[in-house]
Amino acid sequence: MIAGSLFKISFDALIANKLRSSLTFLGIMIGVTSVMTIISALEGMMGAVAEDLSALGPSTFFVQRMGMITSEEQFLEMIKRKPLDLEMEEFIVNGCPDCDKVTPRSGTQAKVKRGNEALNQVSIRAARANMIDIVDVQVEQGRFYTSEEELYHQKVAFIGDKIREVLFAGVDPIGKDIKINNQKYTVIGISKKRGSPFGGENEDNFVYIPFATYMKQFGRPGRYLSYIIKAKSVEKLEDAMDQVRVILRSYRHVPYNEPDDFSLLTADMILDFLNQITRVFRLGLIGISSISLVVGGIVVMNIMMVSVTERTREIGIRKSLGAKQKHILVQFLFESLILTMTGGIMGIVLGYIIAKSLMGMIDMNISPSALAIISGVSISTGIGLIFGIYPAMKAARLDPIKALSYE
Amino acid sequence: MPLIETRNLSKTYVMGAENVHALQDVSMTIEKGEYVAIMGPSGSGKSTLMNLIGCLDTPTKGEYYLNSKKVSQMNDNELANIRNREIGFVFQTFNLLPRATALHNVELPLIYNGTPTRDRQDMAKLALTKVQLEDRMDHKPSELSGGQRQRVAIARALVNNPSLILADEPTGNLDSKTSEDIMVLLNDLHRQGNTIIIVTHERNVARHAKRILSILDGRIAEDQIIKESDRNGVH
Ligand SMILES: Nc1ncnc2c1ncn2[C@@H]1O[C@H](COP(=O)(O)OP(=O)(O)O)[C@@H](O)[C@H]1O
Ligand SMILES: [Mg+2]
Repeated sequence: MIAGSLFKISFDALIANKLRSSLTFLGIMIGVTSVMTIISALEGMMGAVAEDLSALGPSTFFVQRMGMITSEEQFLEMIKRKPLDLEMEEFIVNGCPDCDKVTPRSGTQAKVKRGNEALNQVSIRAARANMIDIVDVQVEQGRFYTSEEELYHQKVAFIGDKIREVLFAGVDPIGKDIKINNQKYTVIGISKKRGSPFGGENEDNFVYIPFATYMKQFGRPGRYLSYIIKAKSVEKLEDAMDQVRVILRSYRHVPYNEPDDFSLLTADMILDFLNQITRVFRLGLIGISSISLVVGGIVVMNIMMVSVTERTREIGIRKSLGAKQKHILVQFLFESLILTMTGGIMGIVLGYIIAKSLMGMIDMNISPSALAIISGVSISTGIGLIFGIYPAMKAARLDPIKALSYE
Repeated sequence: MPLIETRNLSKTYVMGAENVHALQDVSMTIEKGEYVAIMGPSGSGKSTLMNLIGCLDTPTKGEYYLNSKKVSQMNDNELANIRNREIGFVFQTFNLLPRATALHNVELPLIYNGTPTRDRQDMAKLALTKVQLEDRMDHKPSELSGGQRQRVAIARALVNNPSLILADEPTGNLDSKTSEDIMVLLNDLHRQGNTIIIVTHERNVARHAKRILSILDGRIAEDQIIKESDRNGVH
C-alpha cells in the first residue's frame, strides 16, 4: 500500500521534471542500446557460425595437415608436417569400417565470367560427388554433380547464389555456360542463399566442381588438400576417427612414441576453438560499450543528487509529517529505477533493431535473444540501484529540522 | 497523567569551539486539553523547545515523556511514528508542497501510515471542511492566499487526529486580520478538545491561550495561567 503511494509520488516527480527526466532516460537508453547492439550482433554471428558448422552434421570430421593453432610452438611443429596426399583416400575408404563417406577437398580462387559480366576471386571448391551427402548443401534449383560426371572429368558447375545473382540476372542459369579462368563449364545446379557470418567473405560466392575436373584444370592440390569424412553414425564417430588415425599414422610412418603429424577435427572442436579465440574479443567489445553505461550511471547519480538538493525542503516536510528513512529512500530509488528501467527497455528494443539492420547488411538474420534481454533488464536495473542508492540515502538521512530550514 | 512531561530538558548546539545552550533544564508538564502559548524574545529557545516536543529533534540532556512514553530515547523510526500519529505541526512558513493540491498536501501524513487511498481522500476532505476550505481542495498553494495556505497546513496537522497540535509562530507571515482568523480557528479546535501549543512573541496572539510559558535564554522564566478577565475581547 505504502509502496504504491511512494511509486506514484516518484512518478509524479518525474513527470513534473520532464527535461531532467528525459536527459537521464536518454543517457541510460544510449548506453543500453550500444551494449545490446553488440551482444545481439555477436550472438547472431556466433549463432550463424554454429549453424554453418552444424550443416556438417554431428557425425562428420575433417582430416587436415594443420589443426587449430593455439601457440607458436604448435605452429612451428605443424608447419613442418608433410602435406596430405590423394593416395590416402583409398586406404581410408578400404581400412575404415565405420566411415560412411569420404571425400578429398581442395579449392582455389578464380575469375568467373559469363559474357561481359565477371566476378573476381570466386571460391572454387573441389570435392567428390558424395559431398552433397556429407555437407548439408541446399539445392535451390537443378542438382549437384554425379559420380559419373566426376569419373569422366565433366566440366559441370554447382554455383552459389552470388554467382547466379551477378552473372545470371533475370536468366535461368541451368544449362548455360560460365568460364572459370577461361575454361568453359556448364551450370547444373544452384545453391540456396546462405549469407555470410563475418561480412567479409561472401558465403554465396562459390562454385563447386568435381574433384577430378578440378585437378585437370588446376593440377594436384598439394598443401591445400584435406578430407571430409562422415562416420556411419554419431555413436561411431570416435571409432571412425580412431580407425582413420591408425591408418594415417601407419601410412605416414609416424613412430609410436611421436604425436600425429596430421589433425582430426570435428565441427564441435572448431566451434569450441572459435568461441575460445573470440572470447577476449567479445568481452572487450562488451567492456568498451559498458563504458557508455557507466557514463549513463553517472548521469543518473548527478541528476538524482541535483534532485535531492533541490527538494531538500520537500524531504524535510515529508519527514516532519512522519515519513521514515525507508520511505524517502524508496521514493528516490523508485525515481532512478523508473528512469533506468524504461531507458533500459527502450535500449533493448533499439539495440535489437540496430543489430538486426546491421546484420541485414551482411545478409544475416538475428532473432531476439534471451541473453540480451535478460542482461539488458538486469544491467539497467543494476545501474538504477547502484547509482541511485547514494543520492537516495543522502535524502533519507537528512535531518528534518535542517531540511525544513533549507533555502 | 500529564500529556507532556519534561525533566531537565536541555539542548546544546556545538558551533565550532563554542557551545550554544539553546535550552537549559526545562522541566514542565502540560495536561491533555490545555492551550499553551510559549513566549519569549527572538533566540530565546522557543523553536528549539517546540522541535523537541514535536519529536523533530532529540535533547542533549534530560527526559521527555509524551503520553507516558519516553520519547527522549527513541530511534529515528519510532520518532517518525510519533510525529505521524501523535503530533500535528503548523509552521510559520506553512511548509506545503508547492506542486501538490491542497487535498494532496493534507493527505501526506496518511500516506506514511498506510491509510488506503479512498479513506485518505475522505479524511483529507473532512479536515479541509473543518478549516472551511472545502471549495479550495484542488488549488495549489500558489493559488491560495497566505491565510488559506495556513488553513491547509492546519487541516494537515488535524487529519490524523493527533494528541497534540504544535504551531510555531503560525501567524508570523500573516497580516493582523488574517492572524486573527487563524487564531479563531485554533480557538475552535481547542474548544473541540484538541491540545494546542503555540509559539509567538506577540501579546495579541498569546492572549488567546489559557496559559503562557515565558522563555528567556533557554530557561522557563514564568509559567502563568491567564485569568478570564485578561481574555476580554477574545471570541
Ligand atoms: N541548528 C542550530 N545550530 C546552532 N545554533 C542554533 C541552531 N538552532 C538554534 N540555534 C541557536 O539556539 C538558540 C535558540 O534558537 P531558537 O530556538 O530558534 O530561538 P527562537 O525560536 O526562540 O527564536 C539561538 O541562539 C540560535 O542561534
Ligand atoms: Mg523560532
